[in-house]
Amino acid sequence: MTLICVGLSHKQAPIAIRERLAVPPEQIASRLRELKGLAGVREAMLLSTCNRIEIFAVAESRVAGEDLLESLGAVASSHAICRFEEEALRHLFRVAASLDSMVVGEAQILGQVKEAAAQAQQAGTLGPELSRALARATGAAKRVRTETEIARGAVSISSIAVQLAHKLLGSLEDRSVVLLGAGEMAQLAARELRSAGARELLVANRTPQAAEALARETGGVPVSLGELPALLERADVAICSTAAGQAVVTREMMQRAAKARRYRPIFLVDLTLPRNVEPSVNEMENVYVYDMDDLERVAAQNRDLRAAQVGKAEEIVEQELRAFLARLRERAAVPVLARLRAHADAVASAEAERTLAALEGLDDKQQKTVRAMAAAIVNKLLHAPTARLRAEAGEGPLGDAAAALFGLEAEPEQAAERAEEGQRPASAAEGSVVPLLRRS
Amino acid sequence: MATVLVHIALLAYAAGAAAFLTWLVKPQTRLARAGRILLLAGVLVHFAAFGVSLGVAGAGLGVSAWKGGQLFSLLAAVTVAGYLILDFRYELPVAGAFIAPFTVAVMVPAHLVHSADRAIAPELSHSLILFVHVGAAALGTAALALAFGLAILYLVSERQMKHKQLGKLFARLPSLELIDRAGYRLAVWGFVFLSMAIATGSLVSREATGATFPLAPKQGFAILAWALFASLIQARLVAGWRGRRVAFLVVAGFLFLVGTYVGLLSGAPALQGTA
Repeated sequence: MTLICVGLSHKQAPIAIRERLAVPPEQIASRLRELKGLAGVREAMLLSTCNRIEIFAVAESRVAGEDLLESLGAVASSHAICRFEEEALRHLFRVAASLDSMVVGEAQILGQVKEAAAQAQQAGTLGPELSRALARATGAAKRVRTETEIARGAVSISSIAVQLAHKLLGSLEDRSVVLLGAGEMAQLAARELRSAGARELLVANRTPQAAEALARETGGVPVSLGELPALLERADVAICSTAAGQAVVTREMMQRAAKARRYRPIFLVDLTLPRNVEPSVNEMENVYVYDMDDLERVAAQNRDLRAAQVGKAEEIVEQELRAFLARLRERAAVPVLARLRAHADAVASAEAERTLAALEGLDDKQQKTVRAMAAAIVNKLLHAPTARLRAEAGEGPLGDAAAALFGLEAEPEQAAERAEEGQRPASAAEGSVVPLLRRS
Repeated sequence: MATVLVHIALLAYAAGAAAFLTWLVKPQTRLARAGRILLLAGVLVHFAAFGVSLGVAGAGLGVSAWKGGQLFSLLAAVTVAGYLILDFRYELPVAGAFIAPFTVAVMVPAHLVHSADRAIAPELSHSLILFVHVGAAALGTAALALAFGLAILYLVSERQMKHKQLGKLFARLPSLELIDRAGYRLAVWGFVFLSMAIATGSLVSREATGATFPLAPKQGFAILAWALFASLIQARLVAGWRGRRVAFLVVAGFLFLVGTYVGLLSGAPALQGTA
């Protein structure tokens, strides 16, 4: 069995291509079933986000990769990348850990991977191999998030504004937000603050009509821009983006407001040029003014902080990947070990019975002792070879050598594998779990 | 026995301080958890040591056990207990990184002061008022030490926010509003206990020396600290003062209070009475 990853992301194709390939949620199930219908494909998962469209599949051989690539359509073929086995696994781990994202460390991708897995589960295209790989990949992603600072610090202007507001005011519940003007970024920030729990959003504009329209869009309450001094007394956060062409919040105005508000802290976010808030306002106690340059600087700091953590995150991903691969190889070694054990047990049991037949007059306890002795000899003889075979994990020549030395080739592999896992033999029609990266 | 327990508590505080300081560099939840557990274990052992000590003293409230060094020891225990309550309420591991080393620093004088040198006057050894005085002083100082820690945290955090230079620690700092609110509450509690300590201290002083307010550095600094905290609370209630200026006042007030303890350690004979 081979793990294949076929697809493209923002790194390989521009948005114009990606938007043509994106699969709407309602079509995911049918696409997954189509993929599983391709020759040799056993399992499939489709990850379709605004930055990537990728198929993760378990197939009988690499040949299925071509069919999977074709399934993406002609547009994708010149951009898409085909990854196999270890490379495909590494990619899955890196994607889940947000190391392959446009904004490294963003939190959404892990949820999207889980969602894609749930869709594949519902469509019946998720099997044991992909499930195991996904479980380990999400585990690695969680380790990356908790053990590094890759997800710390917002990197978009609106989320930085919200983060700073939290830093200044703590919980935003019961806080009042004033939106001055109608700038797009300001609206976005206001919405984020509202969804972060702000009690009220007051929308002020030059004309009442514009304020009302904007209030409807943002779920706020329209107020007149003429009430600005009163608004500054009331607000905890003010987002300024008027097209005034000059400062609308002056130091004098803010000084009066500060006294009236008994020096409660206020956060002023100025998202316009020329600036709406006089720069000297930031010198006042308990008044914090952040303009576009300041927010950009914080974004750059946070990006640098995340970038500095990438190496550490890659190390974690690599550790997890190595551990997962070792586990897979161990599973690959299981058939030889199982056959070896079954063969040795059969020989010991036969010899014990033959001995018991020759020794007449032994009571039950004595017979049990003879059988236990035979089993103990097998255990002791097989202990070292078993440990070596497990350590080698099916990669080297020892597995083949053991099979040849003990004459194990003729025994059915799957039956031995079941024996190792303590299962009853079953017909091939029941299906079995086959190691993902087994040596051919 | 009590001394061994105090040593164990000191080790636990030091290990807790190490865990919190490591957390500052490597923000793993388990480090903060380890710090909390170590401080909790330390404070329990520490109070057990006081229990043993009182049991050994076996004299009513056990006041005969009071010595100069023990006040510092009690102060450390109460500060840690106060921090743990604060952390339970507001989740402030970053404050732990300041408080735990502070506790260790306070415990050291407790070991340096020779009991014999600072033994209190025999006529005071069973005085209830001395017991109340020492208890109030320890509680007040612990609350104000915590307020001081938060004030420093506030000033650092506020400077970063104001100057838009958000350092590596910024993400781990609590909100300014929370630090300000918690610091002010602690300052109020500290003021209440400090008032009690000064009032009862004057009675102790009168019993020991005949002077209600002897002119000694210890008493002078205590009165200055009290006046500063009284002004701070007045300014907050009347004019709404908050933030940086309140943090500066808390720092100044606590430094005056430290002066009181320097006065205590410098050998002023306030509690030695006529013996």
